[in-house]
Amino acid sequence: MAGRNKRNKQEAGRREPPPPLVRPAAAAVASLLVPGLGQILDRLVQRGLLLLGSVVTILAMLGWRISVLAHREPTAWAMLAKALARRPFFIGLILACLVGLWVWIVADAARLARPVRDSRGRPRRGGFGIFVLVLFTFFALGWQVSQVDPVRMVTEFPKALTPLGRVVWPWQAAVVRETVDRQASAEVQTPCTDNPPPPAVEKPGQPFLLADPTCGELSALDTAGTLLPGSTLTLTGRGFAPDSEVKLYWVDPLGNEFQLRQEGRYLSVQADGRGAFQTKVIMPYRLFPGNPGESSLHQVVARQIASLGRLRASEPLLLTIERMVETIFMGMMATLFGILFAIPVSFLAARNLMSGSWLTMGIYYAVRTIMNIIRAIEPLIWALIAVVWVGLGPFAGIIALTVHSVASLGKLYSEAIEGIDAGPIEAVEATGATRLQTIMYAVVPQMIAPFVSFSIYRWDINVRMSTIIGLVGGGGIGFLLVQYIRLLDYRAAGIAVWFIAVTVAVLDYVSAEIRAKFV
Amino acid sequence: MLEIQNLTKIYPDGTVALRQVSFTVEPGEFLVIIGLSGSGKSTLLRCINRLIDPTEGTIRWDGTDVTAAESAELRRIRRQIGMIFQQFNLVRRSSVLSNVLAGRLGYVRPLPSLVHSFPAADRELAWKALQRVGLTEQAAKQARELSGGQQQRVGIARALMQQPRMILADEPVASLDPVLAHSILGYLEELNRLDGITVLCSLHYLDLVQRYATRVIGLREGRLVYRGTKEDIRRMTDAQFKEIYGEEAVRTSAGLQGRS
Repeated sequence: MAGRNKRNKQEAGRREPPPPLVRPAAAAVASLLVPGLGQILDRLVQRGLLLLGSVVTILAMLGWRISVLAHREPTAWAMLAKALARRPFFIGLILACLVGLWVWIVADAARLARPVRDSRGRPRRGGFGIFVLVLFTFFALGWQVSQVDPVRMVTEFPKALTPLGRVVWPWQAAVVRETVDRQASAEVQTPCTDNPPPPAVEKPGQPFLLADPTCGELSALDTAGTLLPGSTLTLTGRGFAPDSEVKLYWVDPLGNEFQLRQEGRYLSVQADGRGAFQTKVIMPYRLFPGNPGESSLHQVVARQIASLGRLRASEPLLLTIERMVETIFMGMMATLFGILFAIPVSFLAARNLMSGSWLTMGIYYAVRTIMNIIRAIEPLIWALIAVVWVGLGPFAGIIALTVHSVASLGKLYSEAIEGIDAGPIEAVEATGATRLQTIMYAVVPQMIAPFVSFSIYRWDINVRMSTIIGLVGGGGIGFLLVQYIRLLDYRAAGIAVWFIAVTVAVLDYVSAEIRAKFV
Repeated sequence: MLEIQNLTKIYPDGTVALRQVSFTVEPGEFLVIIGLSGSGKSTLLRCINRLIDPTEGTIRWDGTDVTAAESAELRRIRRQIGMIFQQFNLVRRSSVLSNVLAGRLGYVRPLPSLVHSFPAADRELAWKALQRVGLTEQAAKQARELSGGQQQRVGIARALMQQPRMILADEPVASLDPVLAHSILGYLEELNRLDGITVLCSLHYLDLVQRYATRVIGLREGRLVYRGTKEDIRRMTDAQFKEIYGEEAVRTSAGLQGRS
């Protein structure tokens, strides 16, 4: 009974709000002139200020968007008209919201000036809808300001397909075949003499090229500038890689080599299933003058560059693995240094250890403040500074992660120290132990578990962070990733992304398992 | 054996926990301190081995002034006085054995003990202490894996390691159920009778007081308001009871024999 009476009394106390200062009409007029003023006069100061702030902010945002849309127009009205013409839906919507809100605020001020009570006799504040409208207006503004464009997202999606596909499944680029160079050549004499070079001799198992005949005339221009085609040679090749392309080159006596062309196109033939081919070529235009009356030896070369050798890991794969290892070690080193520095810092930041005197409390607050500031600055920004300091590379990343780790581990450790149970300390002291023994037997065992747990958690975070710290030059796999992205090599980038994802996932699992063992 | 005179403790926030408390403890006693929570029982026990420094008054242990003792001498006094606690105060993440060995810290050389190296004799002693409380099988477990009653037995074994002449027990059974309470107090009684260890114990339940105490003192708001023998307690009247436990105290019949 007693409790019930008490509660009733409390409710009664709440039931009597101070009466409004003005009549409903006056409140409405006040809110019409300055939105929210009516509510303030109704003694609802917070509500009034909130509404006034909302209207002012919406007006300011609207003004800004209009000035962006129509900054060249001379007058305010012209600007508004122009902005409405350019973005009728958006500007119209915000204007409608603003007018609706204003009207609502006026009605709200009038309503609250004559306190209406609900069935239980409490004054009704209500007006939940008014704040929904305020929120809606802000989100509409936010939509426009942040350039949300779902239509574009859908229509332009095909552009993303290629890179997306390559990133999602990059493994074609993870292995390459060694290239194999196969070539054979045949000598061609020009002009023909009585003893043309003998045809090449075929050796089993090796590529072989036969030119028939082994001498002929090069193409030339006559005095009128008309092209006189040279002799046609029949080239027969054997012993090449089956079913792959063979390119044909011409080598003049000086050793200049160029790919043979016919009617403007490079000549290439396809070796058949047994690695043989036959084709006809017209001897090319003379590039070097040669001595009149003397004959010279040219060569025709058939060459095959086929990726037919052994499979081996591609350069991006090898580099990614190398960088990934570097990244994991970066995270480890940063965690190690972080722990080493964080332990002494954490003692200075533990309230229960530092509450002794005015001076130690001063140190406590100073250390806490500095740690909070350091933690508020992202490792990426620390990395930017460290890169200037020690140059590009993993060491810069380690410095950045260490700085952040010290601050964050220092805080976690100090909270672990603050959470120490004083009971065992008192019990060990009571046995006649010295101060040092008390610390070793009552304090240290209590701190080991949280220290290990937090340190492993931080190692996990540091490895994850070191995968992106390379984006700003801090070494590790991020450095490689950003290079591949800039080169638009999405397959290589995809390999890096896969390695990061798998490493982070494995680490996440492992660290959770280890921590579960300790907590 | 222990002589306390005009003991007063005022905490820095102005709370007066003890006012002019004087009494003596004779060897071999099982002296129980009764009183409400906040009546100063814990403060009194902690002043005796200087876990809390008293504001005024003297404590004499075998004629030595404990309040004036410097660190080395204080440690020598402390190691003769075992202590067990309401919350057991074990290092929950250390092994049971390590918790028990910690009771020996006042005797061993400090440096080796920092790396958990104890003389073989002390390990033997720890084993015997665990045997005595029936926990040898739990020796390697972490203290937190044990039940409340088992933890308090570890607490007793730790106190035993000090080979104490007196044991201070601060509400040793307040966190345990009645059956366990009898078991723990049974151990203390055994130490008291067989080993001749003086016990100074604060208790909450009157029936336990009647069962185990050889002498009783009562504290109320820091003042010593009651002194009685085992027989006095059995015949305790409502007036005396209210003197200690205050006007609002409702006397339950459980275990009480004396009625007015």
